[in-house]
Amino acid sequence: MSEDAFRFTIDGREATARRGMTVMQAADEAGIRIPRLCYHPQLEPFAGCRLCVVEIEGMRSLAASCALPATPGMVVRTNSERALAARRLAVELLLSDHPADCLTCDQCGKCELQQYAYELGVRESPFVGERHRDIVDDTNPCFLRDYAKCILCGRCVSMCHDVVGAGAIDFAHRGFDCRVASPFGRPMQETTCVFCGQCVQACPTGALVERTRAGRGREWEFATVRTICGYCGVGCGLRFHLKDGAIVKVEGDDDNPVNRGRTCVKGRFGWDFLTRDDRLTTPLVRKNGELAPASWDEALSVVAASLKRIAAEHGADRLAFLASAKCTNEENYLMQRLARQVFGTNNVDHCARLCHASTVAGLALAFGSGAMTNTIADLRRAPCIFVIGSNTSEGHPVIAYEIKEAARAGATIIVADPRHIELVDYAAHWLRQRPGSDVALVNAMCNVILAEGLGDEGFIGARTEGFEDFRAAVEKCTPEWAAPITGVPADKIRAAARAYAGADRASVGGNAEERRRAAIVYAMGITQSSHGTDNVLALANLALLAGNLGQPGAGVNPLRGQNNVQGACDMGALPNVFSGYQRVNDDAARQKFERAWGVGARHASPLPAQPGITVVEMMNAIEAGGIGGMYIMGENPALSDPDICHVRAALDKVEFLVVQDIFMSETAQYADVVLPGAAFAEKGGTFTNTERRVQLLRRVLPPPGQAREDWRILLDVARAAGADFGLTSESAVFDEMASLTPSYAGMSHARLEQAPLHWPCPSGDHPGTPILHTERFTRGKGLFHVVSYRPPAEEPDEQYPLILTTGRILYHFHTGTVSRRSRNLDTLAPEGHIEINPATAAEIGVEDGEAVLVSSRRGQIKIACRVTERVDRGVVFIPFHFAESAANVLTNAALDPQAKIPEYKVCAVRVERAV
Amino acid sequence: MSATDKSRSERSVNCHSERSEESPIGVAPAVGDSSVAPLPRNDIHPKPSPRLRSLSDLARFRARLERDYDPDRARVRICMTGCRAFGAMKVRDALAREIADQGLADVELIETGCHGFCAGAPVLAVDPHGYFYQRVRPEDAAEIVGASLKNGAPVPRLGYPGEGDARIIRREEMPFFRGQRFIVLRNCGHIDPCRIEDYIRRDGYAALDRVLSSLSPQGVVEEIKAAGLRGRGGAGFPTGRKWELCAASPGDKKYIICNADEGDPGAFMDRGVLEGDPHSVLEGMAIAAYAIGADEGYIYVRAEYPIAVEHLRVAIAQAEHMGLLGDNILGTDFSFHLKLKEGAGAFVCGEETALMASIEGRRGMPKPRPPFPAQSGLWGKPTNINNVETFANIAPIILNGAFWFASMGTEKSKGTKVFSLAGKVVNTGLVEVPMGITPREVIFDIGGGIASGRRFKAAQMGGPSGGCVPAEHLDLAIDYESLTAIGSMMGSGGMIITDEATCIVDLARFFLAFVQSESCGKCVPCRVGTRRMLEILTRITQGDGREEDLETLERMALTIKDSSLCGLGQTAPNPVLSTIRYFRDEYLAHIRDKRCPAGVCAALSTTPCQDTCPAGVDAFGYIGLIAEGKFSDALRVVRDRLPLPAVCGRICYHPCERRCRRGDVDEAVAIGALKRFVADHEATAGLDTPPPLPEDRPAEVAIVGAGPAGLAAAYHLARMGYRSTIFEALPKPGGMLVAAIPAYRLPRGILGREIDYIRRMGVDIKTGVRVGVDVTFDELRRQGYRAFFIATGAHNNRRMGIAGEDLPGVMGGLEFLREFNLGAPEPLHGRVLVIGGGNVAIDAARSALRLGAREVCVVYRRSRAEMPAHAWEIEEAEREGVNLCYLTAPLEVVAQDGRAGGLLCQRMELGEADARGRRRPVPVEGSEHVQPADSIIAAVGQAADVEWLTALGLSIRDDGTVVADRHTQATKVEGIFAGGDLVTGPASAVDAMADGYRAARAIRRYLEGLPLPSAAAPVKSAVAVGPPPVETEACPRAAMPCLGLDCRCDSFDEVELGLDEAAALAEARRCLRCGREEQV
Repeated sequence: MSEDAFRFTIDGREATARRGMTVMQAADEAGIRIPRLCYHPQLEPFAGCRLCVVEIEGMRSLAASCALPATPGMVVRTNSERALAARRLAVELLLSDHPADCLTCDQCGKCELQQYAYELGVRESPFVGERHRDIVDDTNPCFLRDYAKCILCGRCVSMCHDVVGAGAIDFAHRGFDCRVASPFGRPMQETTCVFCGQCVQACPTGALVERTRAGRGREWEFATVRTICGYCGVGCGLRFHLKDGAIVKVEGDDDNPVNRGRTCVKGRFGWDFLTRDDRLTTPLVRKNGELAPASWDEALSVVAASLKRIAAEHGADRLAFLASAKCTNEENYLMQRLARQVFGTNNVDHCARLCHASTVAGLALAFGSGAMTNTIADLRRAPCIFVIGSNTSEGHPVIAYEIKEAARAGATIIVADPRHIELVDYAAHWLRQRPGSDVALVNAMCNVILAEGLGDEGFIGARTEGFEDFRAAVEKCTPEWAAPITGVPADKIRAAARAYAGADRASVGGNAEERRRAAIVYAMGITQSSHGTDNVLALANLALLAGNLGQPGAGVNPLRGQNNVQGACDMGALPNVFSGYQRVNDDAARQKFERAWGVGARHASPLPAQPGITVVEMMNAIEAGGIGGMYIMGENPALSDPDICHVRAALDKVEFLVVQDIFMSETAQYADVVLPGAAFAEKGGTFTNTERRVQLLRRVLPPPGQAREDWRILLDVARAAGADFGLTSESAVFDEMASLTPSYAGMSHARLEQAPLHWPCPSGDHPGTPILHTERFTRGKGLFHVVSYRPPAEEPDEQYPLILTTGRILYHFHTGTVSRRSRNLDTLAPEGHIEINPATAAEIGVEDGEAVLVSSRRGQIKIACRVTERVDRGVVFIPFHFAESAANVLTNAALDPQAKIPEYKVCAVRVERAV
Repeated sequence: MSATDKSRSERSVNCHSERSEESPIGVAPAVGDSSVAPLPRNDIHPKPSPRLRSLSDLARFRARLERDYDPDRARVRICMTGCRAFGAMKVRDALAREIADQGLADVELIETGCHGFCAGAPVLAVDPHGYFYQRVRPEDAAEIVGASLKNGAPVPRLGYPGEGDARIIRREEMPFFRGQRFIVLRNCGHIDPCRIEDYIRRDGYAALDRVLSSLSPQGVVEEIKAAGLRGRGGAGFPTGRKWELCAASPGDKKYIICNADEGDPGAFMDRGVLEGDPHSVLEGMAIAAYAIGADEGYIYVRAEYPIAVEHLRVAIAQAEHMGLLGDNILGTDFSFHLKLKEGAGAFVCGEETALMASIEGRRGMPKPRPPFPAQSGLWGKPTNINNVETFANIAPIILNGAFWFASMGTEKSKGTKVFSLAGKVVNTGLVEVPMGITPREVIFDIGGGIASGRRFKAAQMGGPSGGCVPAEHLDLAIDYESLTAIGSMMGSGGMIITDEATCIVDLARFFLAFVQSESCGKCVPCRVGTRRMLEILTRITQGDGREEDLETLERMALTIKDSSLCGLGQTAPNPVLSTIRYFRDEYLAHIRDKRCPAGVCAALSTTPCQDTCPAGVDAFGYIGLIAEGKFSDALRVVRDRLPLPAVCGRICYHPCERRCRRGDVDEAVAIGALKRFVADHEATAGLDTPPPLPEDRPAEVAIVGAGPAGLAAAYHLARMGYRSTIFEALPKPGGMLVAAIPAYRLPRGILGREIDYIRRMGVDIKTGVRVGVDVTFDELRRQGYRAFFIATGAHNNRRMGIAGEDLPGVMGGLEFLREFNLGAPEPLHGRVLVIGGGNVAIDAARSALRLGAREVCVVYRRSRAEMPAHAWEIEEAEREGVNLCYLTAPLEVVAQDGRAGGLLCQRMELGEADARGRRRPVPVEGSEHVQPADSIIAAVGQAADVEWLTALGLSIRDDGTVVADRHTQATKVEGIFAGGDLVTGPASAVDAMADGYRAARAIRRYLEGLPLPSAAAPVKSAVAVGPPPVETEACPRAAMPCLGLDCRCDSFDEVELGLDEAAALAEARRCLRCGREEQV
């Protein structure tokens, strides 16, 4: 028996429990199931339903076992007459105010009230009295609320407050009139509701149901498929419920360790694009200037012939390939193999270039590995979280739940952001910095830590190098120096630095070493900058200085954007590396791949050794005549790239363009051949999420019409171009990749079927690596870099007096290719807007909701304005999802010199009233 | 609700900080609430008091205050808190003007908190004389100033009513104050709560001084533990133990919370302390903070208490200013910061976990425990919560020692308890009494008993969480355990007194409705369960109750108590359980009889007077008709239920009057006198003639006994067209009316006239016939009688069971009266002892006087309060010269010369209450003594002669009464009905007539072959009376003209003379027509 374990008696027999367990948990372990209605494993005990009451020897009243701690020697009776009487009465009372319409209720068969009425033998309530007959609230696009079926278990309220932090619903009124309600009974769209649907999933009765499932069948009629969400890099597990082959609802997968059943609005309600009529269902070939339906054979032969012709005529490097962060690891691996082996070029890249190229570059320099050092779940253990350049609640909502949970548990949250993002409400320190001033801010924090002796000297001495140069460089970066650059007062910088270094938690109990740790979370506010790599290096310096690496509750954690952007990078869909970041100009690596792929020796052309060009460079090269053929899989540069007017001109100009996608995207409209691919729910394979966790995808539906899985298409193109890879399944592709990629070497589909794994996982018996750099850095020692503040490439001036920064909103993803095609999501957020501070709005003379013209040196858009304090004076914000008001018409394509990432986050604009 | 809470929280913080900067010490700031006007003050400390930087500073400051205080100075202490609602501010202004006008510069006018005696609001005390004036009006100011302040003379008319017309003018002589013991309320009514100097002068903060100078935190905890103080919020958890647990909890941040969320209906103890002596709470909290190691505290106070909030703000600001709160208190290391948090009025926020949630800005919903607040409370920190009264006890305990405190009270409950006495008690107000006192002392001695002379029903203690204390437990020693044992509870000290005009079902319904509407909604048993119980109770009060409802209610109540989350739900069913336990009959009256005995439930009652009348006479209707001068119509209404209106107008004990709502204004309407008036008026005028029987046919009903029951049955049968024959054993008809009631109360002419009326309806009365002896049942059956109504009364005396009771010179009461009324009584002489306390005893005593006795003494073993005879009869007897010898029990008749010559008696004292709430007499050892007597009349009870009925097959109860159905009077033998005293035991004429009425209705159905009714139909007034000329202004009840005392004892003339027409019309207009809106 462990130190914490003790004996107690339950229903007349001895059992073991551990300190901290509730009686219910102890009973569960002892194999005794106590009824429960309001209890939810992810929530604090509510203790309201009283179904779990048990008799405890020596206690006057019955006790709710969900909340009562088990104690040594306790004598528990779970099924005494008293407890049963109380349970029966509770169910009778609930049924006395509950419609007895199980025959027509959607929740029939899954309803927990129904289950207990059955178990306790309550046929009908003996009580006749007033009932609530409230009207069903059907005012929102996602779910229905039938107040009459609500039993006030409080799960939805706790989910909304304690997990999501939205606080859109609460209990209202007292006594029998107590109800769950939104503020003033307003429709959910007018509240702080984020439509994550946790409330719906938690509801034990039919009070909350997804619109899509209402009237579509009962639980036992549904087939269930577990897979991974296709939206963002969090990689939430989902359960698709199907009836007769059609999706009826989606829930979070409670068994998935990433999200533990939670989702955001996109994962739960944003899947309806899958079954839209305008999906691409047949290959299209441009004939007489028009894209016309064609057979697969025709389309494939046109693609193979055209690309081969261009390579033959002008050289292989006249071709460019864009892989996709939305496609599987297997597909990305095949794409880079196709480019490198079949067509002989390293010109393969994907949109990671536009989001985290600076991360990959910067963290590789500092640590040797460019990925999240710690895990999502680990954030829950962090006593301090420094969020910079990440609007986590909208970009990575499920990770934001973890941060908020940590905050509620007492963690200190530091937020650096020009905007009043949601996490500011949870923050002890908010540094409202000017866009593009990150290096100055972070260097000043380092300065404070050094000046006040708060650094981890042991860690610096043992595990880092380059410290002295770094110290000398930040010596002058005092908070007073940074204040005018960043716009953040010096004392706020000091306070935040102390908090990050753990100085304000010295007196709190517990392990002192653990209490002083802190995690850094960042996203594109850091990376999408002309000095993005410097930003990343500055953060790496900060973490090294405080010793916040290689330990739980610490780390440097870039939040990756696309569902498989980590995987696409891992798979070598980059111009300079094969899978596993094995450099193309490394002879040994190249020879390994040549051997495996059977090229070099037998064929005339070995693999190219010269690194290829990047996304933005490809567009520029088209203009310059350097690229003639392009193959784009699942990407939409016509909307996603900076300065898209320029991009569209390039796409128009390129001689031959193949686009492989599921919709006729803005980019596909320029294509010569369009190949219909499969969405995430229509294929197998693997995704690697932001925390390096490799998860198995499962097919929910078949691809529509003649559409094919993308991996099949790539194999077909290779075959049409004369190369048969000899691969026939996703798992075969994975096995080949794993055999060539050390960090994936221990994985296979069969193993991932059991549980997802964090890379590196070098062998079949390796458990995976949740936390990087625990013993040593990938590069040996952590390297300090000297980084100096440089202003953004474009600063406001008289002509363009405002700073524009761009970003996401909760309801849409990326260029909206799919989210805009989801009726649910597009109803909730149908159009773009520009956020303007009231003072700025007054200067311009516009009011909330009015249309404005926004112009930069590169273009102009018309957009509705939202006057809000979320942005500061002089700063405006536009979400980049909307083609009608595309922010990237305005953004600056200035590139980071190392990572070649464009500066999306800062440019100078002018806003005028639209006449 | 969270929005409200947040705004409250902001408000409290803001106000607090503003106050601490701006408030000048000693001057009350303007009250923010517009409903409460700011208080102008005559301030004797214009300069702010100094900041006290050390313990000796405080001592020096107190010494200075004591030196400056002249105890002989004239002072007026006027309640300016609770009394405000009764015009105290105008009185204060008038006094201030008068003081100035009469040039009394030296008089101090002190605005105090509650004096406790709320019944007399507005009240004030004039010192140093100790005068206590009540119901003071601004017009009284000149006299108060002129007489009391200038010359030290009292103003008697403003005193408390004593015996007769006497007034009690000194506070310490008032029974209200005499029985109290002041610890918690030590300063209330004495000091200006907004002047910290007043508090300090009376040893304020001396306990904090002692704690900081000489006690360790553990020492404080030990002292409180030794004192045995228990939490006054209701649960009674030992305070010292609570502090000890919190002190032992690990953590460097701890909180003290004062729970001032007093929410029980009818409870205002905490309010009294907060308004009248806020510093006592602050000091107690500071000491508690020191003991547990807290440096921060909250007072969670109802926002509905604006004066309390204001006084707390002022007190906190003053204490902070003087260095008694805040950092380094009195120059020591101890720091304590106090904040106010105003609650938004949710009852559940009195529950400590909900209270803390509310302070934290969340919805006030309770959480399961453990963890207990001592482990994880406010913001997860160890927290100690006590209520206002508990904190107010702390300083006196520290100053006077644990031993002193523990010397008061019972074994397990020490010290005193403050109760708010409310409801149907004369002296409503705030009282502080030692634990162990009985409810009787609180309600009757201190509280002055029940208003309007009604009967006590129960005291609801512990508010909606508690239960009722019925009459049988009036002598319980009050402490936590004893109250719990009888199904009630101490609670926070609410004591709501109910009387017979309170419906117990409605009372339970009220409290349940309150808790139900205040349930937070979190747990199912409380949210839905109490609602379902409420619906059942409501159904019962609406006349739709079912027999099984009581069992359902009890079953639900027990499970709800057992399985609710917090104290609110766990105690919510208590009022229902305890009222069912003690008043099951009243529930059953609602369910079975469709009757609300208290006349409260609208669906089950008409007017209080008609409801209360056993015969259901429509008093409301005939009084209205009298007021309109329609005397004949009025008499018809009376006769609808009553065959003997003039008799009833004289001898009925008219329970209707006790319930008359006019009594709440001044005095009840003289209903009996009006009935007598209208009967006499019509009879005298010859207008009262009986309707003839519709057709001539042989009598089918035989009635045995011509008492009021038999006569009523015959009368009503005749009205329905059925002939009957009455067989009467005595030579005259009338039963007890003629055999027991003396002529001076009921002139024989009147009785004869009304019996004659019945005869004239066609009823045959055969006197001198004993059924069973002179004629048998079988013979009667053979004569064609199909139905029988037996109402032979209870004409036998009960025996006393003492030696010598058969000696010559000892008579039974009834025997004596019968002789007196029907025979030729022998004159009496010398000293006559009458034993007993009922109406027969009093009648016998008064008759004895008239028969020539020199001295008549009634010997009764209990006290006057328990005497069953009607109060006015006793009064009349006393007035005529009858002596009453209470608490005396007969042991033996002492023989002298072969006949009774005296009575060996023993003194008694009153012990605990019996099941009806009457206190039992307990013999006093060694108090035996002989009372000389020339004659002894034993009137200790009556019994019926039932032996012959057993032979008929009727069931007889142990007490010698016959079993008959309550709705039909049917016995278990078909065709035989029974009623009157034979069935009920000795009762009154009107009860007997009611039996006769019910029997007549049932007999008619029996004769017609219809099933007998299973329940009584609710009575309804059938009279439509026009808009009444109602006199609602205070107007005295018409006095009954009576025969002069000088000529009474020589004659047998009727004592009461009756109202004349003008008096009757005026009296009828005093009726408030309280049933009007329901009836027309």
